[in-house]
Amino acid sequence: MPNERIIIKGTSSGLVITIGPGVWQGLIEELDSGLGQKASFFKGGRVALRVGPRQLTRPQLEAAGQVLNRHNVTLWAVESEAPGTQEAAVQLGLETDLSPPNLTVDAAQTSESQRDSLIIQRTLRSGQVVNHPGHVVIIGDVNPGAEIKAGGSVIVWGRLRGIVHAGAEDGYQEKAVVCALHLAPMQLRIGNWVSRAPADDSDHEFMPEMASIQDGQIVAESWNG
Amino acid sequence: MSATVITITSGKGGVGKTTATANLSAALAAQGKKVVAIDADIGLRNLDVVMGLENRIVYDLVNVVEGTCRLRQAMIKDKRLDGLYLIPAAQTRDKTAITPGDMIELTNQMRDEFDFILIDSPAGIEQGFKNAVAPADRVLIVTTPEVSAVRDADRIIGLIEAEEKGPGDLIVNRLRMDMVKRGDMLHTDDVIDVLAINLIGVVPDDESIIISTNQGRPVVMQNGSTAGQAFKNIAMRLTGQDVPLINFEESDSFITRLSKLFKVSG
Repeated sequence: MPNERIIIKGTSSGLVITIGPGVWQGLIEELDSGLGQKASFFKGGRVALRVGPRQLTRPQLEAAGQVLNRHNVTLWAVESEAPGTQEAAVQLGLETDLSPPNLTVDAAQTSESQRDSLIIQRTLRSGQVVNHPGHVVIIGDVNPGAEIKAGGSVIVWGRLRGIVHAGAEDGYQEKAVVCALHLAPMQLRIGNWVSRAPADDSDHEFMPEMASIQDGQIVAESWNG
Repeated sequence: MSATVITITSGKGGVGKTTATANLSAALAAQGKKVVAIDADIGLRNLDVVMGLENRIVYDLVNVVEGTCRLRQAMIKDKRLDGLYLIPAAQTRDKTAITPGDMIELTNQMRDEFDFILIDSPAGIEQGFKNAVAPADRVLIVTTPEVSAVRDADRIIGLIEAEEKGPGDLIVNRLRMDMVKRGDMLHTDDVIDVLAINLIGVVPDDESIIISTNQGRPVVMQNGSTAGQAFKNIAMRLTGQDVPLINFEESDSFITRLSKLFKVSG
């Protein structure tokens, strides 16, 4: 579609066709031919129209919807600043705000992509247990008596003084790391390796450290950036 | 008047919940507040003994909840202090005799009449604890400067947070400054370091507590006890007054301060 008055974009709320200034009828015809060329791309999808401040009547929107339908594309929303256009869209049962479905799409995507990591923004106290197949991030302390078991890595933005088991899932075992601003766990496990806190815990230095598997054993190194 | 319901709990037993409840109740009453202390430790009642009101028990908490008596009949008035009342626990029953809902209802009936309702929680994290915490507006967590008590306090704070009763305020009880100085006891700072909640008071270890418990006369009713003063200060903080923490290190002699200096430089 060579015309810049019609812009088709994939956004987080799906495909959005922005119709720029110009004669509405002409633009819709252009869109019609443009969609014809890319039929396979759009087929079966749904789009939203963004028409700016343009005043559109119900029949005009209906016609636009039919044009899209012919290309097997469903019109689900019309976004406009003009109240008349919004009203017409509502009468046709179309959405006028792109954000609500946007939110649901986002939520679905988020749960999918973040299945890998869990963020907890509080201190884990004695007796509290976190068990997660992916990575675990704690923003807060992990107190003595608390436990974290993560399939992947564990990052604690605070003091880590409880029991931590990273790399509990296959595939992560040796790659998993445990990082903390103050790494002083009662017991630290990565995969099948176990290390205990040194009996002398007089070390009150507040120094970020990272524990990982090196040459078949757990090694904690200070984080020097 | 709408009472503040304060539950005193700890997780671990024997750290001083009952002593704290008795003394804070008495100290608040001495400030002119109208206070009722409720012993929620059903089956192991103690608060009446510590407050010296044991011989006046006719009805108890379970009687009230079961409707055997009226609320008023179970309230024992302390004749030594105006405005101090006790509702004792039943000794012949157990924690399952009442529910968290009963406790909420009971305290709601008294809210209009009192300034403070203090509930002495049993040790543990089971039903008795849940009963005691359910009606709370504020929770005071008592711990001693021992690793095991702190661990249990941490667990309790987690449970209180889960009940959305806030993290609560901390009382560090039975601190022995001489042992702290020798490095044989956790420092208050070490306790706060783990628990990370507001410290409302530090009570020093004091023989007079044991004597007063045996006599059934809370130390705040006597003068000259450092523990009594510490409890009075906590009571003042509960009524919104700004009282600085007692600095137990002030009693350092010149020599110990001098030796500290050498330690630092050497």
